[in-house]
This record gives sequence, structure tokens and C-alpha cells, in this order.
Amino acid sequence: MSTETQSLLSQSSGSSDLKIKIIGLGGAGTNAVDGLKLDDLGDVRLAAINTDAQALNASPIAEKLVIGRSVTRGLGAGGEIEIGRAAAEADRDAIARLITDTDLIILIVGLGGGTGSAVASVVAEVAAKTGALVLAFATLPFSFEGARRKHIAEESIGELRQLVHGMIPLPNDVLLQEGEEDTSVLKAFAVADRWIGRGVNSLCAMLLKTGLINQDFGSLRSVFHDRGGKTVFGTGTANGPDYVKNALEDLFICPLLHMGDRPSQLDRIIVNVIGGADLGISKVNEIMSLVSKRFGSREDLIFGAVIDEARHESLEICVLGKADMEVTAAVEKATATARTKTTIEGGLGLETEISKEDKPPRPVHSSKLPKKQQTLEVNQDEFTFIDNDEQRGYFEKTDRNEYNGEDLDVPTFMRRGIKIKIK
Amino acid sequence: MSHSRVVGAVEIGTSKVAVLLGEIVGESGLNIIGHSASSSKGVKKGVVTDLNAASDCVHAAIMAAEKNSNSRIDEVFLAQTGSHLIGNFNVGTTNVSAPDGVIRSVDIDAAKADAKRRKLPNTRTYIHHIQNPFSVDDQLVENPLSREGRRLQVGYWSVHGDSDIVSDSLRVIRGIDLDVSDMVISSIASGAVLLQDSEKENGALVVDIGGGTTDYVLYRKGYIVKTGVVPVGGDHITNDLSIGLRVGRKSAEDFKVKHGRAYYQTGDKDEKVWTIGDLTIGDREYPLAAITKIIEARVSEIFDIIKAELEVAELLEPMDIASGIVLTGGSARLAGIDEVAKRCLGLDATVSEGSVDVAEELRQPEYSTVLGLLHYALTGQDASQEMAKPSSFLRKISGLLNI
Repeated sequence: MSTETQSLLSQSSGSSDLKIKIIGLGGAGTNAVDGLKLDDLGDVRLAAINTDAQALNASPIAEKLVIGRSVTRGLGAGGEIEIGRAAAEADRDAIARLITDTDLIILIVGLGGGTGSAVASVVAEVAAKTGALVLAFATLPFSFEGARRKHIAEESIGELRQLVHGMIPLPNDVLLQEGEEDTSVLKAFAVADRWIGRGVNSLCAMLLKTGLINQDFGSLRSVFHDRGGKTVFGTGTANGPDYVKNALEDLFICPLLHMGDRPSQLDRIIVNVIGGADLGISKVNEIMSLVSKRFGSREDLIFGAVIDEARHESLEICVLGKADMEVTAAVEKATATARTKTTIEGGLGLETEISKEDKPPRPVHSSKLPKKQQTLEVNQDEFTFIDNDEQRGYFEKTDRNEYNGEDLDVPTFMRRGIKIKIK
Repeated sequence: MSHSRVVGAVEIGTSKVAVLLGEIVGESGLNIIGHSASSSKGVKKGVVTDLNAASDCVHAAIMAAEKNSNSRIDEVFLAQTGSHLIGNFNVGTTNVSAPDGVIRSVDIDAAKADAKRRKLPNTRTYIHHIQNPFSVDDQLVENPLSREGRRLQVGYWSVHGDSDIVSDSLRVIRGIDLDVSDMVISSIASGAVLLQDSEKENGALVVDIGGGTTDYVLYRKGYIVKTGVVPVGGDHITNDLSIGLRVGRKSAEDFKVKHGRAYYQTGDKDEKVWTIGDLTIGDREYPLAAITKIIEARVSEIFDIIKAELEVAELLEPMDIASGIVLTGGSARLAGIDEVAKRCLGLDATVSEGSVDVAEELRQPEYSTVLGLLHYALTGQDASQEMAKPSSFLRKISGLLNI
């Protein structure tokens, strides 16, 4: 254990031996980790895995792993997911070594290319054996990047969702809505990294720093105790005299909390706030009651509050919520099983019920949804819609509206990359 | 009254269930004796997604119409929509059988049968075969009987739907012990009442933008040559606003109705509009530009899709659609929507004001489809065949309205 860790021991509460590793996967993931600016958090280790040796060399990250040299000769996967998969399989042992002895693994990955999602699956599988908690922040490509990337990303996200404890999708189309009106494309890509940065920073601060209300790794684990299901992530931030009200408002209009396919009710929520010394317990209580009112999960809301002495009249709120849509049984038998299982459930669950005329008139007609989504559909009865249409993805129960590779239910302005300024 | 029967025209729409009760007396008399419209539940994008919820509200609407007319429905005409509806143009061909080359009815039947020969998989059901003109040795003729020629052809625009979805909608009606006599797709029903014969002759495109779907029908030379459904409607505009402005659906709907315009213009940047009564966030102001940009993107996409579909079928020739576009459906109320239609399709566009022949309350765009259904009930013909020259049925019922 390094001296740095030792010093951290003295100041942090209870979670002194917590080992967190943030791993960037593929080109986009590595870039995001490069750009992470974590508040002075001590022993959070950064790592990167890529098939492209050259790109990895350029990264300042300490721990780097080139995989699949035997497959790609270090030249990258070229957007081919099969190559990425072969590369990850070839270096499964090296990946296992990289994540050994870690409690919390945060994966950062850009989906839609060849390397990221393939490696993410393997990491998740290996982690299932070590017992580490795995959270993944995954960016989804812009619509303008083409239907192919989008398709790959959607496949990957469904697959990864089954394998990790928390899967946080960040659609670039949605994130583009934040920031300045005429964001250049290059800047637009960086927007996602900023969001990931805020999420990761808030998580680590909650686990490692002392605060008004301390939450440890156990709390995080209790929220994400199972694999599968949907995870919702949102942040709000504000500076200046009215920072509590403004940060809450910013949180409530966070675009990630307003996506169409968001689960209508969250089973467990963890909320963390980071504020300056001026953030008293009464303000924290106010935030807590407003947030829990908004997200409607009273008993299962875990609240943490961290003080960052460097802040003044400044507040950052981070919300992570989990909706268990299905109970995933066999965790160890990761990828392959998960994939076949969903297919079978999706297929039988719906079709058998439909073919019988005299069954209770519950399911309406056979869905043309991709199989993976069907599973979610089948289990929809498991959670109740407490808060009517206000809170749910409106077209959640209907077939997808595919037209020329686009989903027409997704707002046109998002698919076209039209920026809407609401302030 | 012994010869009268009461027909219920029912449209299970995404946002509204519309019911119209018509009493058909003898051969050609029609009294509209009752109507009701209520918001619908369990229907998304024109398709029943929750049988129980949909049944409840349809039954309530039918009962309300029966009650306010103090009568009982004998049979139901039902509208169909949804993206599951697919149309094909099929041509039937036959060689004239008689040695003298004079076309007899047996030849006509053979040509018609040939056009409808295409079998569908079990999962699909035909809803319409709409007849287009005959041709004798490649010459278009209205009525080929007794003409001379070697080869007789007839075209049909055939529409089929997903069997499960269609039977779900039938099940909703059968749930109250009523029989569905016929089904008509919404676009054809609306077109039948909104267009004059001359407009059909000159060529016209009727676009019915409802809550969950946009149905269109294209007439050329008096015939229906294409129908289509874009599974996008007013619900999508609301949903886009809700996501884009990050407000609840109710506020989004309010914004759409009160401040919505189908296109963005420069002044919108500086104009502010307010949410009302969304206590969770507090009253907020939004630039009008946010609203109009979101709506414009969606609305123009709907027309772009129709344009693309007409272009693929090689039917988008302004010369042949001289009467332009007629817009109807609840979302046709959106300000400026005719502008956008004009811009996207390059055709004149007007928002239908409903038929002047019917009582004011039935001129609402919500009723155009059910009026069209009654038209089919009255003309007594098998709705699966578009009659050649529908004489305006509204003329027949004008003056007879007692509501």
C-alpha cells in the first residue's frame, strides 16, 4: 500500500481499504479517462485498455494494457466488433490481472466501435468471479454517425446491461442539448466526457471523503446489488447565492433524466451532494426531501453529503437510481447464458400468451421489438406506475418505430442534432 | 321505422374515441342521431395496446352515443389505422375469352380475381381491395363491358393489416355484443367526406394527422391510388416538447396547444412563454423558439416521409395533384401546419374546415373519419370496394340532421 493510501486512511471514514479502479475502454473511453479531473481523492487508480497501441501510448494514464496484439498487431479493431471480441478473449488473463484486487470498477466506454463493448463484456465476466462491483458509463453515438454505429451500440448496451451492476447510458444526441448553441462536433464529443467526469467524481467523493452524511461502499453495493436492470443517472450543479434552488432546478431539467426509455419508477436511489462549508444540515434536509419527493422512492433513498472546503456557495447533486426490471439468476454464467436466456424469455413469454384467444386480454399483439427489449417488456408488470404518464417513457409499451434505420419515437430534433435552448 | 337500421361509426383513435350514430332509412336516407367523443386510453400510435383500458373507454363512448340518441346500435363500422397497414398495387390481367373479342362479365371477373390472387401469410388480413380503372389493350376505360379487345387489365390498391392487431380492435367492439359489419381505413374514410368529386378527379392528397398516426390517401383521376400511415402524430409533438423542454406531458401539451406553431421564425428567439402551474419546478419561462424549433423538426419530418413514399411510388407529380393537400385530424389545428406541408411537398395545402353540410359540432376534424364510415354504411356497398363515383352522400343527409 502506498504512502498516499496511508495518508488517506487517517482522513477517510471506514472505507479506508476501498480499492477503486476507473478503466477507460477503447479509444473514446481512454480519452474520457485522460480528461478526468478528480478532486483530490487519493487512491483511485486509473487504467486504460485498448486494441490500438499507438493511441494508448499517447495517453498519460499510468496503467495501460494493449490487448489482442496477436489479433490486430496492435493496430486497433477498426470498428469491427468481432475483432474487438477476439482481442479481448485473447488477453482475458491480462485483463483479469488488471482488475484483480479491486472493489469497485468503473468502466468508461464509448459504444458503437469495435473495442469498447467487447472488452467491457470480458471485464464484467472476469469481475463476476472476483466479486467486484462494476458500474459502466457508456456513451452512445450521435445519430449523424450513422445507423451502423448506432445499431452496434444498441446491441452492446442491451448485452452489457445484463453483465454489470449499473449501466449508465449517455446518448450523445441528448447531451448535445446541453452547452452552447453552436457547439462544434469535436466539442460535442467532449460534452459526454464532462458528464462522466461529474458522475465519477461525485461517486468517488461520496465513498472516500468525510462528509455531513457519510455513505460507504456498502451503501453503494446495496443499491447495485444485482446485475441487469436499468440505471438512471443525473446531475445538477449551481453556483452563487441561490445555489440550492438552482442546483435542484438544474438537476430536474437534466436531459439524462428526461429520456424516453427511462424506467418509470426506481427501486433504489443514491443521491450525493457536494457543497462547501456553508452547506448546513438544514439545507441538506431540504434537498433531501425535494429530491425524494421528485423521484418517489421513499424507503430506498440513500443520501450522502460531502463537504469540499474549496467550494463556496456551490453545490453539485448527483443521482444514481436503479430499476430492477428482471431478476437475473445465474450471474456467473455471464455472456453466453445471458444472451440465450433473454432470447428464450422474450420469445416464449409473449408469443405463447398471444396465440391463445381465451387468455386474459392482457398482451395485445406480438411485438416486433428486438428480442432484448422484449424481456424488459415482459416483466413490465413487476413495477407499478405510481406517477402516470408524467414519469414514463411515453412510447415504452409500443413497437419501435423504425424508419430508414431511425426510431421515429425519438424526438426529431435530437436525431437531427438541432440544439434547443431552454434558458 | 321497420326498414331503418342504426349504424354506429366507431373510430378508436390514439387520443379520442369518436362515435357517430346514423339511422339509415330505406335505401338512401340517413339521419345522424347521436354522437360522442371522449379521450381514449390504452391506444398508442393508432393501435390498441391495452385491451381492457381501450374496451372501457370505447364502451363508454358507444353507450353515451346510444343514450343521447335513445337508440340501440344494430351494426358497427370500424375505422382502422396504424403502421401495420400495408398497401400494394396489384394488376390483374386476363385474355378476353370470346372469339369475337367482346368483353363479357366473366372476363371482368377473371381480371378482378387475378388482381386479388396474391395470398397473404396467416399473420396478415386484407382490409381493402380498391379498384382502379380497367384498361383494354392498354387503353384506360371506365367500363369495359361489351367493348372489344384482346387483353383486359384492372389495377387494385390493396391494403392489408396485421391479423392480431385487427382482431384486437374487433374484440373491443365484440366485448359489448356488437358486430362489426365492415372496416374502413381511416384515410379512406376521411377522404370520402372531405373531398368533392371534382377534387378527387383533379387529384388531391388528404393528410389526417391524428394523435398517434398520420394517415394519408392520394386520389388521382377520381381513384384512390395510394394510402399510407406514418406512425407519428400529435402525441409525438407533445413527447418531443416534453423531452426537449424537460417538462411533464401536461405542460408540454399546454405549450403545444397555446403557443405551438409548426415552423420557427426569427422573432421566436426573443419571445418568452411561461409554464403554468407546474409546481414541482415552479413557473419557468421558455423562449418560444425552443417550442417552434422542436415542432418544426417533427412536423416537417412527417411530410418528408409522405413525400418520400409518394416519390418512391412515382406519384408525386403536382400536375396530377392539382387540388393539392387537404389537412385534417386533431393536429391539423396546429398553427402554420399548412405552410410546412406546402414547403415540404411543393403542393398547395389547406386545412379542411369540415363539410358545411353537417351540423357545426360535426365539422370538427375529429369527426371526419366517422362521417366517412357512415358514408360507406349508407352507400351500402362493400367497403372493400371504392365505388366509382360516390355522389356526395352529405347532400343526401343535409337537412335531415336533427342534432
